[in-house]
Amino acid sequence: MIERLLEGARVVVCLGPGGVGKTTTAAALAVAGAQRGRRVAVLTVDPAARLKDALELPEEPGRFHRIPLPEGTPGTLDAILLDAKGLFDELVRRLAPNPDLAENVLRNPVYRNVAGAFAGSDAYMALEQLLDIDADQSFDLIVVDTPPASHALELFDAPERILALLNSRALEYLAEPVRILGVATSRFTRGILSAVLEGLERMTGLSLLGDISSLATDFADVAPAFRKRAEAIHTLMRRVDTRYVLLASPDPHGAQDTVQFAGNIDEVGIDLDAVVVNRVLEVPTDELPAPSSDPVAVPSGKGWSATLARNLVTCSRELEILQSSQRRVIDSLRAGLADVRRDGARGEIPEPMWLELPALFPAPTTLEQIQRLARGFAAPPELAMEWG
Amino acid sequence: MPGARLAIVTGKGGVGKTTVAAALARAAAQEGRRVLVVEIASPGRMASVLDVDELRSDPLEVHPHLHAVALDEARALEHLVDGLLPLRFLSRQLLSSETFRIVAAAVPGILEIAILAQVEEWMRARSGRRGGYDLVILDAPASGHSVPLLSSPRTLSGLAAIGPLGDTVRRISRCLTDPRRTMAFVVAIPEEWAVAEAVELVDSLRGELAVPVARPVLNATFPRRFSKKDEKLLDEAGRNGTIDPDLLIAGRYFLQRRKSAQKQGKALRKATGLKPVELPFVFSGTMTWEDLDPVSEALRAGLAA
Repeated sequence: MIERLLEGARVVVCLGPGGVGKTTTAAALAVAGAQRGRRVAVLTVDPAARLKDALELPEEPGRFHRIPLPEGTPGTLDAILLDAKGLFDELVRRLAPNPDLAENVLRNPVYRNVAGAFAGSDAYMALEQLLDIDADQSFDLIVVDTPPASHALELFDAPERILALLNSRALEYLAEPVRILGVATSRFTRGILSAVLEGLERMTGLSLLGDISSLATDFADVAPAFRKRAEAIHTLMRRVDTRYVLLASPDPHGAQDTVQFAGNIDEVGIDLDAVVVNRVLEVPTDELPAPSSDPVAVPSGKGWSATLARNLVTCSRELEILQSSQRRVIDSLRAGLADVRRDGARGEIPEPMWLELPALFPAPTTLEQIQRLARGFAAPPELAMEWG
Repeated sequence: MPGARLAIVTGKGGVGKTTVAAALARAAAQEGRRVLVVEIASPGRMASVLDVDELRSDPLEVHPHLHAVALDEARALEHLVDGLLPLRFLSRQLLSSETFRIVAAAVPGILEIAILAQVEEWMRARSGRRGGYDLVILDAPASGHSVPLLSSPRTLSGLAAIGPLGDTVRRISRCLTDPRRTMAFVVAIPEEWAVAEAVELVDSLRGELAVPVARPVLNATFPRRFSKKDEKLLDEAGRNGTIDPDLLIAGRYFLQRRKSAQKQGKALRKATGLKPVELPFVFSGTMTWEDLDPVSEALRAGLAA
């Protein structure tokens, strides 16, 4: 599967609802790329502390860091931790026509809050960061971990949202906030609204209107550059060498969220290249002694009590319940995704690759465990289970 | 004490906040208390746990004594502005303007205050035949969004010292920090990432946010089924091949999961100084109102202890 996914790919985006193992899988995909001789960049968002330690990521986000892979690994791996706040500031500095203007914007007291509204979310910043990494020719594979989003559109709409905002007259209006009062039809309401706005200003203690006005005026000079970047991101996301991997979990609630997520992705006209179901409780039978003919053969030697035997049987039954309920979730996930492909607005869509990765306990957090997970992409059965 | 108490259920995404909020609601409603569950983050989930088709933006009785509502953020904001401005048609005109939305976005914490103001209003609803609750349970958004939510009174109180908004902010702030009225339940599962996040959350709740914190909840823990001696016997039988492989695997799996529950429970206790309440893993593969029973029992027993 990994060969097909990575062949001709420059960008691999890991998507999915929160809590499905995106960050770990992105790290494993990146390692798998390096194992195949690619010069890989991985952009991670909010990794667990131990994964951060495992990748030896520096405390300071927003900078590349070389991950030490075992000797003999043909490729390289550089990781960067998303610094959404820092990146937006840096973009303002970089895109502003002159440094004074950039400082004016950054010093504006409402900049941070308005910036949040402009940028949408960490999701958008991840895409801005991706655009920068993509421009760097020293990488030939970029793996992107996306921030937890309840809705896929948070990610895919981000460029459109910022484009719409920049193209709308909102900035114009903001530059001259009194024009908000244009909605008022009579002089009477206009007068009252004007008083209300002043009241709002007093109420919040911000010199809101003045600050917004100067921010909008300054930002208007940076806007065209942001607009160009948003267009570039839109194009990048639809390039043939950009691949999408949807992560799913076999938990009962997971399927519903994932199918909805896939539907959203379909709506924006993006095809999934692979679906990875994480943490599947598959029991490897090949490494174990052949099953005895008696299905509940419990040793009866010294120390073995009836309670112990009964407990084992209970565990076995409950594990079976877990496995079959996971299987049901996976089946409904498959069916749901097939419905999305069939009923989607765009007609027949090729079926994505399908991979189920076994559950590892505890969750993989060391570089070595991630390397093992990466090998699992090539030959999942080899991975087996780590319960023993 | 007039009005309802508030239980805020929070934690990292995927730890079962909704399940814990629903279990808490079930336990309280079974004791005959009038409960309102408020969903703000993940529409749909709470409805399925409560076994109802959907939640409305007005409270609805879904089980005896148990009411539930899906808070509508936009409506809460309108409601807040309505209350602050003298004339309703003015606030409508203001809110209808796209530009005002951006201005509102520029006021830090205004949407969060609107949400909390709505919750606080439900807490103050009069007792009687209609309305009035003993306990309001907030199924708060994942921790990344919970902190901005709960810190919004602080953010705004510095800015809005006077006027009607100032009064609202101060009232919410008093409520959130009063241990007789508010208690935050931080939820984790026995995974390192979840516990680390829970510890951070407890720290910021107890620190800058000054929100009273209940014992943390360790959700989805596996039962203890085997002693050290049992484990040895199991290992031995595994090596000798004298046990059915399915049983061996199941035994090892449960041992492993129990160990991580213990380890993470200890870590949580050590870092917070609070003994976590352990809730059992539910094996049914679904989570419906009836499946919730053992979870809600464990929560009740754990919190009473």
